[in-house]
Parts: sequence; C-alpha cells; structure tokens
Amino acid sequence: MPNLGIYLIGLREGLEATLVVSILVAFVVKAGRRDRLPLIWAGVGAAVALSVLFGGLLTYTETTLLKDPADRELFEAITSVLAVVFVTWMIFWMRKVSRKLKGELTAKLAEAITVGGFAVLLMAFLSVVREGIETSLIFYAAAANESGLGPLWALTGGLVTSIVIGVLLYLGAVRVNLGKFFTWTGAILVFVAGGIFKYGVHDFQEAGVLPGLHTHAFDITSWFKPTEWYAELVRGLLNFTPQPTVLETIAWAAYIVPVLLFFLWPAEKTAPKPVASDATPAKETV
Amino acid sequence: MNTPRTRMIAAGAFAATAVLGLAACGDKADDKGGASNEIAVTATDSECKLDKTQLSTGNYTFVVENKGAQVTEFYIYGENDVIVGEVENVAPGLTRKLSVPLKSGTFQGTCKPGMVGDGIRTPITVTGDDAVAADDAELSAAVATYKTYVATQADELVKLTEQFTTAVKKGDLDEAKRLYPLAREPWERIEPVAEIFGDLDPLIDGREADLAQGQEFTGFHKLEKDLWIGKDIKDSGPIADRLIADVKTIAEKAKGAELSAAQVGNGAKELLDEVAATKMTGEEDVFSHTDLWDINANVSGAQQAIEALRPVLAKRDAAFLGTLDTAFKTVNDTLAKYKSGDGWKLHNELTQTELKELSDVVNALAEPLSHVGAKVLPTQ
Repeated sequence: MPNLGIYLIGLREGLEATLVVSILVAFVVKAGRRDRLPLIWAGVGAAVALSVLFGGLLTYTETTLLKDPADRELFEAITSVLAVVFVTWMIFWMRKVSRKLKGELTAKLAEAITVGGFAVLLMAFLSVVREGIETSLIFYAAAANESGLGPLWALTGGLVTSIVIGVLLYLGAVRVNLGKFFTWTGAILVFVAGGIFKYGVHDFQEAGVLPGLHTHAFDITSWFKPTEWYAELVRGLLNFTPQPTVLETIAWAAYIVPVLLFFLWPAEKTAPKPVASDATPAKETV
Repeated sequence: MNTPRTRMIAAGAFAATAVLGLAACGDKADDKGGASNEIAVTATDSECKLDKTQLSTGNYTFVVENKGAQVTEFYIYGENDVIVGEVENVAPGLTRKLSVPLKSGTFQGTCKPGMVGDGIRTPITVTGDDAVAADDAELSAAVATYKTYVATQADELVKLTEQFTTAVKKGDLDEAKRLYPLAREPWERIEPVAEIFGDLDPLIDGREADLAQGQEFTGFHKLEKDLWIGKDIKDSGPIADRLIADVKTIAEKAKGAELSAAQVGNGAKELLDEVAATKMTGEEDVFSHTDLWDINANVSGAQQAIEALRPVLAKRDAAFLGTLDTAFKTVNDTLAKYKSGDGWKLHNELTQTELKELSDVVNALAEPLSHVGAKVLPTQ
C-alpha cells in the first residue's frame, strides 16, 4: 500500500479546509440565508484558484515570492490565526442565535440575523487557502511522479473523501433541529478553531517567529504513529499531533477552555452578569 | 448598495485581482540571479543520502525523492536545530523540492520517515563568504547600468552612421567628412562590447594596414580613404550600404549582449589599450587624422564603465577608486587643451612633445584600469 500515505495526506489537508466550509454552509442554510451561498463558493473558488496558480508558479517557474519555505510557514501561520478570528466570531454569533431561539419563532430567525457577507466570503477563503498552497504543491509533485499516476489518484481520492465527509457533516447538521445544531456545531467549531490556532502557533515556531520548536509538551509517537489513518484523521479534524510543542499546547488550552466555557455556560443563570450575550455586539452587520 | 449581486461582483474582482497580482509576481522570476544548485536527496525508511555535503555559500535546491514506504519530511537544521528549511508531506514515490539560501556553517540534512523522532541526519558543511549574495546583487546592478549605457550608445551609433552613409551616397563630400569622426564616437565608446562579436568588428572598423591576405577593405576606414585620399565617393555607395547594415546588426547584438562585471572592467582597460596602441601613433585614422575624436570617445567610454562599477569599487577598494578618478581627471584635462571648436585638433597638428605628454597620462590611467576586472569578480 505505498499510496495509502499520500491518500491520507490528501484526506487530512482536505479536511482542514472542508470542515469549516461545510459548517459555514450548514449555518447559512439553517439561518435561511441561502443568498450567502454564492459568496462562500466565491471565497472557496478564489482560494483554490490562488493555490493552484501559486503551486504552479513555485513548481514550474523561478518565482521568488514564497519560495522560501519559512515564508510559506509564515503565510500558513497568519492565515490560520486570521481564520481562527473569524471562526471564533462565528462561534459567538451562533451562541447568541441559539439563545434567541428559546423565545422566538424559527421563521423570524432569518430576519434576526444579518449574516455578514464579506465575513462569510473571507472565512471560506481563509479556511481553504491556508493549506491550499501546500496541497497544490503536493499535487504538482504527485503529477510529476515518473513511476506512474498512482500517487496522483491517491491524493485526489483523499481530497474527494474529505469533501464527502464535509457533505455528510452538512447533511447531518441540516437535519437536526436548530437548537441542537447551534449548540453542537458551535462546540465542534470551538475544537476546530482551537486546532487551527494550535497549528498557527506551531507554524510561527517553524518560521522562527516564536521560540520553543523543540520543547515538546509530550511525545506519544511511539504508539500513536502520525502516519496511521486514525492519526491523520484526527490531525485533519482537530489538528491533534502526537508530539506538540509546549507553546502550541498552551495556546490550544488557552483558547479552548475559556471559549468552550463561555459557549456552553447556561445563559439564564448568568443573564444579569455582563459575561453572557453582552460580550458580543447586539447586531452583526459586517 | 450591498445587494448580493454587487457583493458577488466585488468578491469576483477581489479574487481576480489576487490571482493577477500573483501571476505578475511570477513573471519577475528570472531576473533574480543565476540558477540555484540542485542537490539530490534520496530518502528511504532507513537512509537519508545527499549527493553533496561540502558546499559553498549560495542558493540551493534540495530535490528530495522518497524511495521508502513511509511518508517522510526533509529538514535543514542549523545550530540548535533551528529550521533553515523544510519540506513536509513527501509521500512515497514523490519528489519535492526545497529551496534555501545557505550561509557558511554546519547544517544537518534530516529525513524523518514516518514523520517522527529526530530523523536521520547527514551533516552539511557550508564554507565561503556570507556577503556573496549582497555583493552579487551590486555587481548585477553595475552591469545593468552599463548595459543601459551600451544601449543608448548603440542607438546613437546607428543614427549617426545612417547620417554619415546617407551623405556619402548623396555624394556630399564635405558633409560626409564632417560626419565621419562624429559617427565613430559612439562606436569607440562601446567598442569592447562590439568586439565580442568578432566577425563584424573587422568589417566595420578594419584598418587597411591590418587586412589579411585577400580580405576586402570595407567599413569606416575604406570610406575614410575614399573621402580624404581619393576625394571621390561616386562608387562608395555599396560600401556605405554594407557599413550601415553591419552597424545595425552589431548594435542589436550589443544591446542584447550578456556581460559580467569583470567584462565591463576589462572593457574599460581595452579602450585605453586601443588609445595607446593605434591612436596615439595616428594609425587609426591615418587618412583623416581625426584620432582625437576616437581617443576622447575611448576615454569617456572607459569612464562610463567605471561609473557603472563605482558602487562596487567604492565598497571594495575606495583608495583605488580615488586613484582612478585622479587619473581620469588628468587625462581629460590634458585632452581639453586640444579642443578646437565643437571638435578636436587633428592628430598631425599636435607636436611630438604634446603627443608624448598625452601618451604619458593615458598610460598612467591604463595601469590602474588594468586591475579593475580583478576587483569586480564575484566573491565566490
């Protein structure tokens, strides 16, 4: 099975992009704002086009832009942190909506939320582009493989599988009732965003911007092999890696714990305190 | 208003701009100096082989081929395992490239089959001067400056030669004689570049005395002889046509010529050698005696070459640059004594003493100029 490895790479890189996009799509559909869908696809399309173009430039030309791998790490780090900002904003937004649901009719929901068009576009763009260039470089490398097209098909298979998983996630998500949807997808997003944040910090370390690349929090690579399918899967979904640095682990925890607590904290009991819904602006117009 | 449609258009425009912007970035690719050196890395599940490990400073592309069964990664670690470069996701069977500039020092080429552990390490030793990259950029800039000069002189050469040959073909003897030394000036300023194209130089500027057995006498000096000795240019049309055709060809070639900084420096020296060898003796323009036009053009061409190299020379040897500047000034001051109207005195109007003085200052400049080429070599 020499091509299993590249299949799993495709699956992992694909999931990192499709996960956020499928939740985003489900959210927009649930909120009755299908008119926002073209913006999501525009963001995804722009990111894919950019990645394919850039991968080609780096592979076939002597371009100097982003040729230095450290620059690419930095690019991934910055786009990842930006993606976290947008996803976090979406999480809080979901929380507010789920609170509102308690008293209001679902039909009114579409009016109640104004889904920021540019934010949606940018979120879709960032989610895809941050790993897009690396993926397209792998793609070009696989296409150039002299000993056959096996790796190319395997990589494509991995990407397609990630899209299928994204579609399934979407189908599952649109089926559940609204209250559950916002709670669950919101909670999932907290972990996804935490993973992206951890990944971004790691890339900042690899780019040499942050220190401590070789100071590991723990190392379970002896039994949790990073090339196994389950390892690639959880890395694609949650960015869990078996040998994380101390800094990225702290960053992960520092994000997950407060955001998750805040997201799940019962609104009724804390209503008088300013912690709850007041923390986000009353109206989201972007 | 922010209707979905206008937002879609905005989104599309955003994407298009991004793509176009990046495409433009790809274009400027090739102007950034030389191809990088490739180093083949063969990674297996138990080995990490580099085909070269003793390197000199510069840009390198590691071509990593995974011949193992596991997904691997390739890192270049510096001191304290600082990542100098890395390429991840090298699946079995794939070849991926890693481009890194390497300064002097010790590095570890590292493969990580299975993406775990400290990896299989191969030490890399890089020696050389770390200032190379910056210096080389300055050398390229100097060459670019000089090439701009060559291009303007090449255009000037075509323009003036065209006027000259037109006058010859019209049979306008006086006008042709007036234009002859002027048309030669741009030629004499950039002659070392023209000499790269060896076959054309003798056709354009060959002297009668230097002709090989059976070789036809053509070019500037044939027309010079017709104008001053034969005083008859009725039959000079074909020679004039051939001259302008050859000049146009060589001007185009000169504009496209690839030069190194050392060639620019050596060219400056060759210009001064020309002065000493044939012009000081009056052999160059033996019929017209307009040698001083040529001499002045040679000196100014050499001076332009030094101007182009000035930033590099100032950095590498400021005292030497001072010597050159003084020597140029002396030559120009001496030449200035023989100005006559818009042009110069004729060679045969100068006394032996005057020629001797001019010859001495020219030699005093030629000596330091002969060291320029060696001072503008790349540091590697």
